[in-house]
Amino acid sequence: MSAPDPKFLSFTSQKSLTARLILSTLTGKPIRVSQIRSTSTTPGLAPHEVSFLRLLDSITNGSRATFSHTGTMFHYEPGLIMGSIDGQGAIGEVTDCSLPNTITRGVSWFLTPLCILAPFAKKPVNVRFSGEGVITGATECGDVSVDTVRTAILPLYEKFGISTAKLEIRVLQRSCAGPGGKGGGGVVELKFGSQVRLPKTLHLHRSPGRVRRIRGVAYCTGVSSSNNHRMIHVARGILNPLVADVHIATQYDQAPLVSSGDKNSKSGKKTTGIGFGISLVAESSVDGVLYSADVASPSRGGVTSEDIGKQCAYQLLEVISQGGCVTKVGTETVLVLMAMGSEDVGRLRLGRDVVGTEDAIGLARDLQKFGASSWGLRDVDEDDSGDIIVTVKGIAVGNVARKIA
Amino acid sequence: AKGRNSRRRTYRTIDLARMMYKDTMTPADVLNKWRGAEDEEENIEEDDEDIFFKKSNQEKSDELAEDRAIPILDYDELESKWSLEDNLEALRRRFATADLLKEKIEDSGSDDE
Repeated sequence: MSAPDPKFLSFTSQKSLTARLILSTLTGKPIRVSQIRSTSTTPGLAPHEVSFLRLLDSITNGSRATFSHTGTMFHYEPGLIMGSIDGQGAIGEVTDCSLPNTITRGVSWFLTPLCILAPFAKKPVNVRFSGEGVITGATECGDVSVDTVRTAILPLYEKFGISTAKLEIRVLQRSCAGPGGKGGGGVVELKFGSQVRLPKTLHLHRSPGRVRRIRGVAYCTGVSSSNNHRMIHVARGILNPLVADVHIATQYDQAPLVSSGDKNSKSGKKTTGIGFGISLVAESSVDGVLYSADVASPSRGGVTSEDIGKQCAYQLLEVISQGGCVTKVGTETVLVLMAMGSEDVGRLRLGRDVVGTEDAIGLARDLQKFGASSWGLRDVDEDDSGDIIVTVKGIAVGNVARKIA
Repeated sequence: AKGRNSRRRTYRTIDLARMMYKDTMTPADVLNKWRGAEDEEENIEEDDEDIFFKKSNQEKSDELAEDRAIPILDYDELESKWSLEDNLEALRRRFATADLLKEKIEDSGSDDE
């Protein structure tokens, strides 16, 4: 174990762990990740990361993960991406992913990378997230809400020749982050029914157009539904002078019940995941250009719904001002699909502050390490927006289960 | 707008493209250098000598760094930024409510390519 096996690609730290795992699964290259929170007081993989590895295990065939004693290092050997197949981790063609109540990340943290894998699967990927750790709202850890995944990330797949008609995220029970930011009680179903031989590449290098309308979802779980209207009122006050067409839906749910572990209470249940939040998506006049913003109330409380609405509206303005055709939320999805897709050169216009993030640079380096070609960067010269055009050449990983289109 | 202009000079795309795949630099260093942050000299020094020390610093910051889809934003700052009429006017160009004459010019511009 002392000398790393050369067939493993080595990475350190828990940063962009999901991106590395899906790249490893897609390219079939085993990885070795070490120094995971090695200097932290809670070393090793966090509960959400273990759950993600389990999830990968249930939708693939033959993948293997081995951990060190402390959990600060693990080896991952990817298998074939099968999807939800009965008898291989799925029942009734639905893979159940039960998340423990120690998880602090929102369900979008699982959904976004899972969706990148799904088009390459042999069979449709249907995953039902349940259990006491499913947080559908945005979280303080910086996860977007499930509404943003549905309205701002899934539509991006259409551009890759992956029909969005068979993609669906159904929220059966909403939940915000529970006490201490841990756990919720939500239930979310992902149905990803479009499997392709090879995703097409993308040409989004023209002007990103202008924002034509704003849509959104305001959600409350277990608190008065008037919070929805208060958030919407403030957000509209900021956005309406810029766009007249603002529609924000309201979602009011009762707080989810989870088992309390307390034998004294009558039902043995307690409510969790109380809170509220808002997700806003600005649609541009150019098809497929979406800007999104997300804010939810912190689990400790003490923030008024007006503040949440205001913060979300300002966050949306900030994201729009960064420009480009894809925002930070969607870059991982788009750039990974471009790199794994057909052997064409795709072009993508991104805001300067979107390319210039540690995440983007880290992703570029990871992609290169997995054998993808490096990005070309150049300035947009047709206007003074200062956007950067990223050119990505695909390596045609494709879907091994579908050799014939 | 003034801030953006002065920023642009140190903010060249070529520089980023050059540094993006340099494995000796951490992504954070690349960004600092690209943005022309004040501690540039310090960075260069570190690059030359203290690679080992720098690594341990990196670990420490990694400990706190989790992947975030939404960056940490200072909302008070944003509020003051977007309360200014100038900033809002600059952003208005990105909305469909901008005047139509400009739209025509821009559209013909992008169709040329």
